[in-house]
This record gives sequence, C-alpha cells and structure tokens, in this order.
Amino acid sequence: MLSRIIPVFTLSFFLFFAAANTAYAMHITEGILPFRWVITWFAVSVPFVGIGVYHVKRKKKKMPSYLPLVGMLGAAVFVFSCFPIPVIALNGMATSHPCGTGMSAVLLGPFVSVLVATIALLIQALFLAHGGLTTLGGNIFSMGILGSFSGYFAFKIAQRCKLPLFWCGFLAGMISDVFTYLGTSIELGLLVINTGGSFFKAAAEIFGVFMMTSQGILCIVEGVVVGFVLVFIYKRRPGILFHLGVVKDDTKPMQT
Amino acid sequence: MDFFHHTFSDVYARKNNWLTRIDVRVKLFYVISLLAINLWAKNIFIPLLFLSISFIVLFSIRTPLFAILRSMLIPISFAILILIVKGLHEGEKEWLSLSIVGYKMTFREEGLRSGLHTCSKVLGGISLVITFSFTTTISRLCAGLKWFYVPNTMIELLAFMYRYIFLLFDEVSTMWTAQKSRLGHASWGKMIKSSGVLCGLLIMRAFDRAERTYEAMYVRGYDGGSILTVNLSPWRKEDYASFIGMVFVAPMLVYTGNIYVW
Repeated sequence: MLSRIIPVFTLSFFLFFAAANTAYAMHITEGILPFRWVITWFAVSVPFVGIGVYHVKRKKKKMPSYLPLVGMLGAAVFVFSCFPIPVIALNGMATSHPCGTGMSAVLLGPFVSVLVATIALLIQALFLAHGGLTTLGGNIFSMGILGSFSGYFAFKIAQRCKLPLFWCGFLAGMISDVFTYLGTSIELGLLVINTGGSFFKAAAEIFGVFMMTSQGILCIVEGVVVGFVLVFIYKRRPGILFHLGVVKDDTKPMQT
Repeated sequence: MDFFHHTFSDVYARKNNWLTRIDVRVKLFYVISLLAINLWAKNIFIPLLFLSISFIVLFSIRTPLFAILRSMLIPISFAILILIVKGLHEGEKEWLSLSIVGYKMTFREEGLRSGLHTCSKVLGGISLVITFSFTTTISRLCAGLKWFYVPNTMIELLAFMYRYIFLLFDEVSTMWTAQKSRLGHASWGKMIKSSGVLCGLLIMRAFDRAERTYEAMYVRGYDGGSILTVNLSPWRKEDYASFIGMVFVAPMLVYTGNIYVW
C-alpha cells in the first residue's frame, strides 16, 4: 500500500503546488462522478437544501430584513472562502483557501448554511469553473451538509463545555474542514467499488493525501482564523453575535 | 486574490453577440442535456467533440484564448492528476515504468485508458459550463432558473450574494493591500491574525450593509415578498430552431457516445 501512496502523494504534491500554485481540493470537478452517483448525491442533498429554503422563507415572513442579512453574510463568507492562505509547509510558495462553511454554520445555523453553501458552489461552478454542475450534489453533501452540521455541532458542544469563544470558533472551523475533506474522500472512494477496489482503502488514501498536502494544515489555520473572527466581532460589536444567536447574552462579560 | 478578480467576471456575458442573444432557457436545456450525454459517453470522442465545439463557439464570439485557459487551469490540473492516479492504480498490463527520486512508478495500460476517459469527461464537461457562463449574465440565469421552478427564495439569495460579492471583494482587496503595505503579512503568524481581523471587519461591514440595504428596500415597499423582477421574453424563431436542433442532435450524440472504442 505504501508503495502506491508515495507516488500518488508525490504527484499530488507536485500538481497541487507546482502546477497551479493555488490548491483547490475540496470540490469535485465536473465530469468525475458517474451518472448514478450524480443522481444519488443530488437525492441526498435536495432535502437539506429544501429545509434551508423553508427556514429562510419562514423567517423572511416574520422578519423581512432576514433575506438581505443572509445574502450579505453569505457574500461575506464567500469572499472569506477566497482568502489566499499560504501553505506553511512550502514557506508560502503556494496558497490554499478556506471552506467558510464552519463560519457560516455558526453565524446562520446549519440548514441556512447548507443553502448558502449551495449557492456559493453554484456560483463557483459557473463563474470560476471550480467544482461542477453535475457534481454539485456531491459537493453540497461534502461541503454544505457535512461541513455545516459538523461545524455547527462542534461549536455548540464546545459552548456547552464552556470553552472560551476562540476555541469554540477554532473547533467549528477545523472540524467543518476535516468533515468536508472526509466527505469528498468518501465520495471519491465510492467510485472504486465497481472496479473491484476497496472503498475503505481508497477513501483512506485520498483522505491521507488531502491531509498530508496543504489541507491538513489548512484545517488548523481555518480554525484559528474563525476563532480570531469571532473574538474580534465579540470585542468590537457583541450585538452582532447576539442578534445572530451565536451568544446568548451580549451584556455579560465572556471569556474569549 | 488577484486570480479571482481576473477570472470572476461576467464581462464576456455582457457583450452583444449571437450566443448571448440566445434565450437562457434554450442554453440551460443545451447545457443540462449535453452534460448528461458527456457523463453517459463510453468513449472519449463525445467529450472531446464537446471540448472542440466549445472552443470554436467561444472563438466565434472573440473570447480570448487566455481567458478560456485561465478558467480551465484548475480543471486541467485535476484532469492530469486523475490520469496519473488511475494510470498508477488500475489494471495489470505494464505500459511504462520509471523511477522518480528513487521511487519506481509503473503506469498500467488499462488505468491510463480509464484515466484518459475520465480526463476527457472533465475537459468536455468544464468546457460546456464555461461556454454557458461566458455567454449568460446572472440576471438572465436567475430568470431562467425561475422558469425551471427553482424556489424564489433561492434565486433571490443567489442574486443578492452575486451582487454583493464584487463589492465586498473590492473592500477586502483595499484592506488586504493596506495590511500588506503596513507589514501585516510580514510573517506567517501575523498573516493569520491579519486575516482574522480582516474577516471580522468583513462580517461587521456585511451586517451594517444588510441593515442599510433592508432600509432602502423597505422605503421602496419591500415587505418580505418576492424581489425578482426580470421577466423572460417569448422565444424567437432562432430559439425555436436551436431547441429543435438539440432534439434532433441529442439522440445521435447518445448513439455515438454508446460505441465502445476500447
């Protein structure tokens, strides 16, 4: 197994950093998924997107300012997800970029975050050729659903454990990234089933390559950035976090 | 950030040419059915046909080659990666064996064929998507999606996000440059902290802008209802001709795509 991992690792390393200089690894590109998996991942993702739409629609009726708020925060998270983060292992020779779903899940809740991720993925697929239209369902599953829910629950559990706000944000950012890559690895690993390969072996290899190249460090970096962001907003404008339901009471001092 | 500024633009979609004049519904029909055929294809000829036709069509509306290649850079690197990974992983028959930095790498024939097939699908699919995005503005896309019964709330959010992404990009770019010129990115640690502060400011500004936008919308009578106003005009003769052309061509493409070459 090791003899196969090493060449794959070497080549991935070369292609991600030397060829493109910018690593975009969490989206499955157009044309990779076979027809049946395209249908399967769309079928899995549509109910979550539907619930997200229902949530926004219901809140919009009660509070008309909710739509511009979600749109604007969604745009901000999209821009955040385009931040170039240098890969420390290569001394900044190449950059990667964060997912942003952990932060959107903390700010907007998991279902609305799935909807925001869906729209972000659609924009990226159409206007950046990053991801794809047939792979949209698969990408929604890994980045939208797994990323949002894991980030949201990580944040809530950390809050329950009374961890400082920075660590709550750190865990949300980091875990949502790890789950996003895990989701992508599972989706790609499932492709070998028909060719007689082992799903677990393939998924583990792909996940290993993700984590060993830029993405393992990126998970930690995104966690740190999300932690900084939440602390920064809490110190400057705690009312925003209170309004979004991230903190329960903005008048009580809180450990950051 | 420069990469996104250059690539993320609808400048070509705003031009007036024969492709931008085609109704968005026809283009959506085309792109969805051709993507399905591209996935279904059992040989590399159909995806490569889509790739070549997309290039010809984009050249016919004077899209610069550099713009097309810039958009395809990431998918191409993925396609090459897939070709190599499959070549190393699948099959038994040895095709090429070489040693890189002491590691012996053996490419297998079956794997390379299968990799080439997937690689062609990536290139074919992405070229279709690029052709669509280079010839369709977001407002037309929203109108088209509405016709396809995509929920209004989703289209409204898409329009909102797309509208403000450019604006926030500009703000972030200015702040980013200011941070850089004041040694905010002098070390890796500083850069992470600066990114945190920058993103925090971004969220705060987005929140304030959302309030101002809502006030402006409220003044204009918004009460939480639909905000979509773009309506599609009826199909012209050319649109009907394009649609009927697709109906005739699709079965032929499906038939050709079903032929096993290897």
